[in-house]
Amino acid sequence: MSRRAVVDVTPDAVLKFNKPTEKFLCPVSANTFIEFLEFRIRDVESNRAMFEVKRPSHEIDWNARDLSGSDELRKISYTFPAEFLSYKAIGTTLVFAVCPAGIKNFRMIERHYFKNRLIKSFDFTFGFCIPGSVNTWESVYTMPPLDSDQIQEMIDSPDQTMSDSFYFVDDELIMHNKASYRYST
Amino acid sequence: MGLLTVLKKLKQKEKEIRLLILGLDNAGKTTILKRINGEDISSISPTLGFNIKTLAYNGYKLNIWDVGGQKSIRSYWRNYFEQTDGLVWVVDSADRPDRFADCKLELHGLLTEERLSGASLLIFANKQDLPGALSSEEIAELLDLKTIQTHHWQIVGCSAVTGENLLKGMDWVVTDISKRIYMLD
Repeated sequence: MSRRAVVDVTPDAVLKFNKPTEKFLCPVSANTFIEFLEFRIRDVESNRAMFEVKRPSHEIDWNARDLSGSDELRKISYTFPAEFLSYKAIGTTLVFAVCPAGIKNFRMIERHYFKNRLIKSFDFTFGFCIPGSVNTWESVYTMPPLDSDQIQEMIDSPDQTMSDSFYFVDDELIMHNKASYRYST
Repeated sequence: MGLLTVLKKLKQKEKEIRLLILGLDNAGKTTILKRINGEDISSISPTLGFNIKTLAYNGYKLNIWDVGGQKSIRSYWRNYFEQTDGLVWVVDSADRPDRFADCKLELHGLLTEERLSGASLLIFANKQDLPGALSSEEIAELLDLKTIQTHHWQIVGCSAVTGENLLKGMDWVVTDISKRIYMLD
Protein backbone atom coordinates (compact mmCIF):
# COMPACT_ATOMS: atom_id res chain seq x y z
CA MET A 1 0.00 0.00 0.00
CA SER A 2 1.26 3.46 -0.75
CA ARG A 3 2.02 5.91 1.97
CA ARG A 4 -0.41 8.43 0.63
CA ALA A 5 -4.08 8.67 1.49
CA VAL A 6 -6.28 6.33 -0.55
CA VAL A 7 -8.36 9.20 -1.85
CA ASP A 8 -7.59 12.88 -1.81
CA VAL A 9 -8.79 13.62 1.69
CA THR A 10 -8.46 17.30 2.50
CA PRO A 11 -9.46 19.11 5.70
CA ASP A 12 -12.28 20.82 3.78
CA ALA A 13 -13.63 17.47 2.59
CA VAL A 14 -13.56 16.01 6.10
CA LEU A 15 -15.39 19.04 7.50
CA LYS A 16 -18.32 18.19 5.23
CA PHE A 17 -18.67 14.58 6.40
CA ASN A 18 -22.04 13.98 8.06
CA LYS A 19 -21.67 10.36 9.09
CA PRO A 20 -18.84 8.03 10.11
CA THR A 21 -16.69 6.83 7.25
CA GLU A 22 -16.98 3.18 6.27
CA LYS A 23 -13.24 2.70 5.91
CA PHE A 24 -10.04 4.22 7.12
CA LEU A 25 -9.01 6.90 4.68
CA CYS A 26 -5.24 6.49 4.91
CA PRO A 27 -2.88 3.61 5.63
CA VAL A 28 -1.24 3.26 9.04
CA SER A 29 2.08 3.76 7.27
CA ALA A 30 1.17 7.36 6.36
CA ASN A 31 2.11 8.46 9.83
CA THR A 32 5.85 9.00 9.96
CA PHE A 33 5.40 12.21 11.93
CA ILE A 34 3.88 11.72 15.37
CA GLU A 35 3.54 9.15 18.10
CA PHE A 36 0.82 9.29 20.75
CA LEU A 37 2.20 8.98 24.26
CA GLU A 38 -0.80 9.59 26.51
CA PHE A 39 -4.51 10.13 26.28
CA ARG A 40 -6.78 11.13 29.13
CA ILE A 41 -10.40 12.12 29.59
CA ARG A 42 -11.37 13.91 32.81
CA ASP A 43 -14.39 15.39 34.49
CA VAL A 44 -13.22 18.98 34.93
CA GLU A 45 -15.30 19.81 38.03
CA SER A 46 -13.92 16.96 40.11
CA ASN A 47 -10.63 16.64 38.17
CA ARG A 48 -11.28 12.89 38.10
CA ALA A 49 -9.85 10.84 35.22
CA MET A 50 -12.52 8.82 33.41
CA PHE A 51 -10.10 7.19 31.03
CA GLU A 52 -6.33 7.10 30.84
CA VAL A 53 -3.74 5.35 28.68
CA LYS A 54 0.00 5.94 28.74
CA ARG A 55 3.03 4.52 27.05
CA PRO A 56 5.53 3.37 29.63
CA SER A 57 8.22 5.60 28.14
CA HIS A 58 8.33 8.87 26.20
CA GLU A 59 11.47 7.73 24.35
CA ILE A 60 10.70 6.95 20.71
CA ASP A 61 13.10 5.26 18.32
CA TRP A 62 12.00 6.92 15.09
CA ASN A 63 14.00 4.48 12.97
CA ALA A 64 12.34 1.42 14.41
CA ARG A 65 8.63 2.18 14.50
CA ASP A 66 6.20 -0.55 13.54
CA LEU A 67 3.89 0.92 10.91
CA SER A 68 2.28 -2.35 9.94
CA GLY A 69 -0.46 -2.20 12.59
CA SER A 70 -3.85 -3.65 11.75
CA ASP A 71 -7.04 -1.60 11.52
CA GLU A 72 -8.18 -3.04 14.83
CA LEU A 73 -5.50 -0.93 16.50
CA ARG A 74 -7.04 2.21 15.03
CA LYS A 75 -10.42 1.58 16.63
CA ILE A 76 -11.26 2.07 20.25
CA SER A 77 -14.45 1.24 22.07
CA TYR A 78 -15.14 3.27 25.19
CA THR A 79 -17.51 2.37 27.98
CA PHE A 80 -18.33 5.26 30.28
CA PRO A 81 -20.60 5.39 33.29
CA ALA A 82 -23.93 6.98 32.35
CA GLU A 83 -23.25 9.92 34.68
CA PHE A 84 -20.67 11.02 32.09
CA LEU A 85 -23.57 12.36 30.04
CA SER A 86 -24.52 14.82 32.76
CA TYR A 87 -21.07 16.26 33.44
CA LYS A 88 -20.83 19.98 32.83
CA ALA A 89 -17.31 20.09 31.41
CA ILE A 90 -14.99 17.46 29.97
CA GLY A 91 -11.27 17.74 29.34
CA THR A 92 -9.49 15.52 26.81
CA THR A 93 -5.70 15.51 26.94
CA LEU A 94 -3.42 14.26 24.21
CA VAL A 95 0.34 13.96 24.67
CA PHE A 96 2.36 13.30 21.53
CA ALA A 97 5.95 13.11 20.36
CA VAL A 98 7.07 14.74 17.13
CA CYS A 99 9.60 13.28 14.67
CA PRO A 100 13.17 14.65 14.57
CA ALA A 101 12.39 16.69 11.45
CA GLY A 102 9.55 18.58 13.13
CA ILE A 103 6.22 19.48 11.51
CA LYS A 104 5.37 22.68 9.70
CA ASN A 105 1.61 22.54 10.00
CA PHE A 106 -0.27 20.03 12.12
CA ARG A 107 -4.04 19.99 12.35
CA MET A 108 -6.68 17.74 13.88
CA ILE A 109 -10.32 17.44 12.94
CA GLU A 110 -12.66 15.24 14.94
CA ARG A 111 -16.28 14.53 14.02
CA HIS A 112 -18.69 13.07 16.58
CA TYR A 113 -21.96 11.46 15.55
CA PHE A 114 -24.95 9.93 17.27
CA LYS A 115 -27.08 7.67 15.09
CA ASN A 116 -25.37 9.04 11.99
CA ARG A 117 -26.10 12.65 12.95
CA LEU A 118 -23.28 15.10 13.57
CA ILE A 119 -23.35 16.22 17.22
CA LYS A 120 -19.95 17.85 17.61
CA SER A 121 -16.98 18.83 15.50
CA PHE A 122 -13.53 19.86 16.64
CA ASP A 123 -11.07 21.57 14.36
CA PHE A 124 -7.75 22.52 15.88
CA THR A 125 -4.62 23.79 14.19
CA PHE A 126 -1.45 23.15 16.16
CA GLY A 127 0.63 24.66 13.41
CA PHE A 128 4.35 24.29 13.89
CA CYS A 129 5.69 21.46 16.08
CA ILE A 130 9.29 21.65 17.32
CA PRO A 131 11.62 18.87 16.02
CA GLY A 132 11.82 16.03 18.53
CA SER A 133 9.38 17.72 20.90
CA VAL A 134 6.83 16.29 23.32
CA ASN A 135 3.61 18.27 23.33
CA THR A 136 0.41 18.32 25.30
CA TRP A 137 -3.00 19.55 24.25
CA GLU A 138 -6.01 19.65 26.50
CA SER A 139 -9.36 20.60 25.09
CA VAL A 140 -11.88 21.61 27.75
CA TYR A 141 -15.45 21.96 26.60
CA THR A 142 -18.85 22.21 28.12
CA MET A 143 -21.19 19.35 27.33
CA PRO A 144 -24.37 20.17 25.49
CA PRO A 145 -27.19 19.93 28.05
CA LEU A 146 -29.16 16.75 27.45
CA ASP A 147 -32.63 16.06 28.80
CA SER A 148 -33.42 12.73 30.46
CA ASP A 149 -35.02 11.30 27.30
CA GLN A 150 -31.92 12.06 25.26
CA ILE A 151 -29.68 10.57 27.95
CA GLN A 152 -31.82 7.41 28.02
CA GLU A 153 -31.67 7.14 24.24
CA MET A 154 -27.87 7.33 24.30
CA ILE A 155 -27.67 4.70 27.05
CA ASP A 156 -30.05 2.47 25.07
CA SER A 157 -27.96 2.79 21.90
CA PRO A 158 -24.52 1.33 22.61
CA ASP A 159 -21.86 2.09 19.98
CA GLN A 160 -24.15 4.41 18.06
CA THR A 161 -22.17 7.34 19.37
CA MET A 162 -19.09 7.34 17.15
CA SER A 163 -16.23 9.56 16.17
CA ASP A 164 -13.66 9.88 13.41
CA SER A 165 -10.36 11.63 14.19
CA PHE A 166 -8.34 12.95 11.26
CA TYR A 167 -4.80 14.24 11.58
CA PHE A 168 -3.22 16.32 8.83
CA VAL A 169 0.36 17.37 8.16
CA ASP A 170 0.49 20.20 5.62
CA ASP A 171 -3.11 19.36 4.69
CA GLU A 172 -2.29 15.74 3.93
CA LEU A 173 -4.05 13.03 5.93
CA ILE A 174 -1.49 11.09 7.96
CA MET A 175 -3.67 9.38 10.55
CA HIS A 176 -7.28 8.34 10.92
CA ASN A 177 -8.69 6.80 14.09
CA LYS A 178 -12.18 5.70 15.02
CA ALA A 179 -13.96 5.42 18.33
CA SER A 180 -17.33 4.18 19.51
CA TYR A 181 -18.94 4.92 22.86
CA ARG A 182 -21.37 3.17 25.18
CA TYR A 183 -22.76 4.29 28.49
CA SER A 184 -23.46 1.84 31.29
CA THR A 185 -25.84 2.29 34.19
CA MET B 1 -13.41 26.44 36.90
CA GLY B 2 -12.13 29.92 37.59
CA LEU B 3 -11.04 30.43 34.01
CA LEU B 4 -14.48 29.78 32.62
CA THR B 5 -15.79 32.68 34.68
CA VAL B 6 -13.11 34.94 33.19
CA LEU B 7 -14.27 33.82 29.77
CA LYS B 8 -17.84 34.84 30.50
CA LYS B 9 -16.74 38.47 30.26
CA LEU B 10 -15.94 38.20 26.59
CA LYS B 11 -18.31 39.94 24.28
CA GLN B 12 -19.89 38.44 21.25
CA LYS B 13 -17.34 39.73 18.77
CA GLU B 14 -14.26 38.23 20.39
CA LYS B 15 -15.30 34.66 19.82
CA GLU B 16 -11.78 33.38 20.07
CA ILE B 17 -8.75 34.76 21.87
CA ARG B 18 -5.22 33.45 22.00
CA LEU B 19 -2.76 33.84 24.85
CA LEU B 20 0.92 32.97 24.64
CA ILE B 21 2.78 32.15 27.86
CA LEU B 22 6.54 32.60 27.65
CA GLY B 23 9.44 33.11 30.03
CA LEU B 24 12.79 31.58 30.94
CA ASP B 25 12.99 27.91 31.85
CA ASN B 26 11.76 27.03 35.34
CA ALA B 27 9.74 30.27 35.64
CA GLY B 28 6.59 28.26 36.35
CA LYS B 29 4.66 28.66 33.08
CA THR B 30 3.23 25.15 33.01
CA THR B 31 2.49 25.19 36.73
CA ILE B 32 0.47 28.39 36.28
CA LEU B 33 -1.41 26.89 33.35
CA LYS B 34 -2.24 23.72 35.27
CA ARG B 35 -3.09 25.58 38.44
CA ILE B 36 -5.66 27.84 36.77
CA ASN B 37 -7.22 24.72 35.30
CA GLY B 38 -7.58 22.99 38.62
CA GLU B 39 -5.08 20.27 37.81
CA ASP B 40 -2.50 18.50 39.93
CA ILE B 41 0.80 20.41 40.03
CA SER B 42 2.88 18.00 42.10
CA SER B 43 4.97 16.50 39.29
CA ILE B 44 5.71 18.88 36.43
CA SER B 45 8.77 18.30 34.26
CA PRO B 46 10.43 20.79 31.88
CA THR B 47 8.31 21.43 28.79
CA LEU B 48 10.12 20.10 25.71
CA GLY B 49 7.61 21.51 23.26
CA PHE B 50 4.26 23.13 23.98
CA ASN B 51 1.29 22.71 26.29
CA ILE B 52 -1.97 23.98 24.91
CA LYS B 53 -5.29 24.47 26.65
CA THR B 54 -8.35 25.09 24.60
CA LEU B 55 -11.31 26.23 26.66
CA ALA B 56 -14.62 26.43 24.90
CA TYR B 57 -17.50 27.99 26.74
CA ASN B 58 -20.85 29.13 25.37
CA GLY B 59 -19.39 29.63 21.93
CA TYR B 60 -16.34 31.53 23.22
CA LYS B 61 -12.93 30.02 22.91
CA LEU B 62 -9.74 30.70 24.82
CA ASN B 63 -6.56 29.13 23.48
CA ILE B 64 -3.57 29.26 25.80
CA TRP B 65 -0.15 28.27 24.46
CA ASP B 66 2.68 27.57 26.89
CA VAL B 67 5.96 26.98 25.06
CA GLY B 68 9.07 25.60 26.77
CA GLY B 69 11.61 28.17 28.00
CA GLN B 70 14.88 26.28 27.76
CA LYS B 71 17.54 28.10 25.82
CA SER B 72 17.58 25.49 23.05
CA ILE B 73 13.84 25.96 22.45
CA ARG B 74 13.61 29.77 22.61
CA SER B 75 14.51 30.16 18.94
CA TYR B 76 11.22 28.38 18.12
CA TRP B 77 9.06 30.85 20.07
CA ARG B 78 8.58 32.97 16.95
CA ASN B 79 6.58 30.13 15.39
CA TYR B 80 3.83 30.81 17.91
CA PHE B 81 3.48 34.61 17.65
CA GLU B 82 0.82 34.65 14.94
CA GLN B 83 -2.62 35.88 16.07
CA THR B 84 -1.54 36.31 19.69
CA ASP B 85 -3.91 38.63 21.57
CA GLY B 86 -2.13 38.51 24.89
CA LEU B 87 1.43 37.72 25.96
CA VAL B 88 1.91 36.38 29.48
CA TRP B 89 5.55 36.72 30.56
CA VAL B 90 6.35 34.59 33.61
CA VAL B 91 9.26 35.45 35.91
CA ASP B 92 10.76 33.37 38.71
CA SER B 93 10.93 36.14 41.35
CA ALA B 94 13.40 34.08 43.39
CA ASP B 95 15.74 33.35 40.46
CA ARG B 96 19.52 33.80 40.55
CA PRO B 97 20.43 37.48 40.15
CA ASP B 98 22.33 36.90 36.88
CA ARG B 99 19.24 35.45 35.20
CA PHE B 100 17.27 38.69 35.42
CA ALA B 101 19.49 40.28 32.75
CA ASP B 102 18.64 37.37 30.43
CA CYS B 103 14.99 37.64 31.38
CA LYS B 104 14.92 41.36 30.54
CA LEU B 105 16.72 40.83 27.24
CA GLU B 106 14.32 38.09 26.08
CA LEU B 107 11.25 40.10 27.08
CA HIS B 108 12.35 43.32 25.38
CA GLY B 109 13.30 41.29 22.32
CA LEU B 110 9.75 39.97 22.07
CA LEU B 111 8.32 43.47 22.31
CA THR B 112 10.04 44.46 19.07
CA GLU B 113 8.33 41.61 17.21
CA GLU B 114 5.85 42.93 14.72
CA ARG B 115 3.51 39.97 15.09
CA LEU B 116 3.19 40.66 18.82
CA SER B 117 2.73 44.40 18.39
CA GLY B 118 -0.97 44.39 19.17
CA ALA B 119 -0.78 42.06 22.16
CA SER B 120 -1.58 43.01 25.75
CA LEU B 121 1.30 42.15 28.07
CA LEU B 122 0.84 40.57 31.49
CA ILE B 123 3.94 39.96 33.59
CA PHE B 124 3.52 37.38 36.31
CA ALA B 125 6.09 37.86 39.10
CA ASN B 126 5.73 34.24 40.11
CA LYS B 127 6.93 32.31 43.18
CA GLN B 128 5.96 35.03 45.66
CA ASP B 129 5.54 32.22 48.21
CA LEU B 130 9.31 31.57 48.24
CA PRO B 131 11.54 33.25 50.84
CA GLY B 132 13.81 35.73 49.09
CA ALA B 133 11.37 36.35 46.25
CA LEU B 134 11.63 39.89 44.92
CA SER B 135 8.47 42.00 45.00
CA SER B 136 6.63 42.84 41.79
CA GLU B 137 7.96 46.44 42.14
CA GLU B 138 11.53 45.15 42.27
CA ILE B 139 10.91 42.88 39.27
CA ALA B 140 9.39 45.81 37.34
CA GLU B 141 12.57 47.76 38.04
CA LEU B 142 14.92 44.91 37.01
CA LEU B 143 13.03 44.31 33.77
CA ASP B 144 12.82 48.04 33.05
CA LEU B 145 9.08 47.81 32.47
CA LYS B 146 8.48 51.56 32.75
CA THR B 147 10.20 52.06 29.39
CA ILE B 148 7.55 49.95 27.63
CA GLN B 149 5.44 52.30 25.51
CA THR B 150 4.42 49.91 22.78
CA HIS B 151 2.11 47.58 24.71
CA HIS B 152 -0.56 47.78 27.40
CA TRP B 153 1.13 46.05 30.29
CA GLN B 154 0.51 45.06 33.88
CA ILE B 155 2.66 43.26 36.43
CA VAL B 156 1.04 40.99 39.01
CA GLY B 157 2.86 39.26 41.88
CA CYS B 158 1.58 35.71 42.15
CA SER B 159 2.22 32.18 43.28
CA ALA B 160 1.37 29.21 41.09
CA VAL B 161 1.70 26.98 44.17
CA THR B 162 -0.79 28.82 46.38
CA GLY B 163 -2.82 30.14 43.46
CA GLU B 164 -2.51 33.72 44.77
CA ASN B 165 -3.44 36.38 42.19
CA LEU B 166 -3.47 34.04 39.18
CA LEU B 167 -7.07 34.74 38.29
CA LYS B 168 -6.55 38.43 38.96
CA GLY B 169 -3.81 38.48 36.31
CA MET B 170 -5.79 36.40 33.82
CA ASP B 171 -8.79 38.62 34.37
CA TRP B 172 -6.71 41.72 33.61
CA VAL B 173 -5.33 40.35 30.36
CA VAL B 174 -8.66 39.03 29.07
CA THR B 175 -10.42 42.30 29.99
CA ASP B 176 -7.68 44.39 28.37
CA ILE B 177 -7.91 42.35 25.17
CA SER B 178 -11.68 42.62 24.96
CA LYS B 179 -11.58 46.41 25.57
CA ARG B 180 -8.98 46.84 22.86
CA ILE B 181 -10.95 44.83 20.33
CA TYR B 182 -14.05 46.80 21.25
CA MET B 183 -12.27 50.09 20.60
CA LEU B 184 -11.00 48.97 17.22
CA ASP B 185 -14.52 48.27 16.13
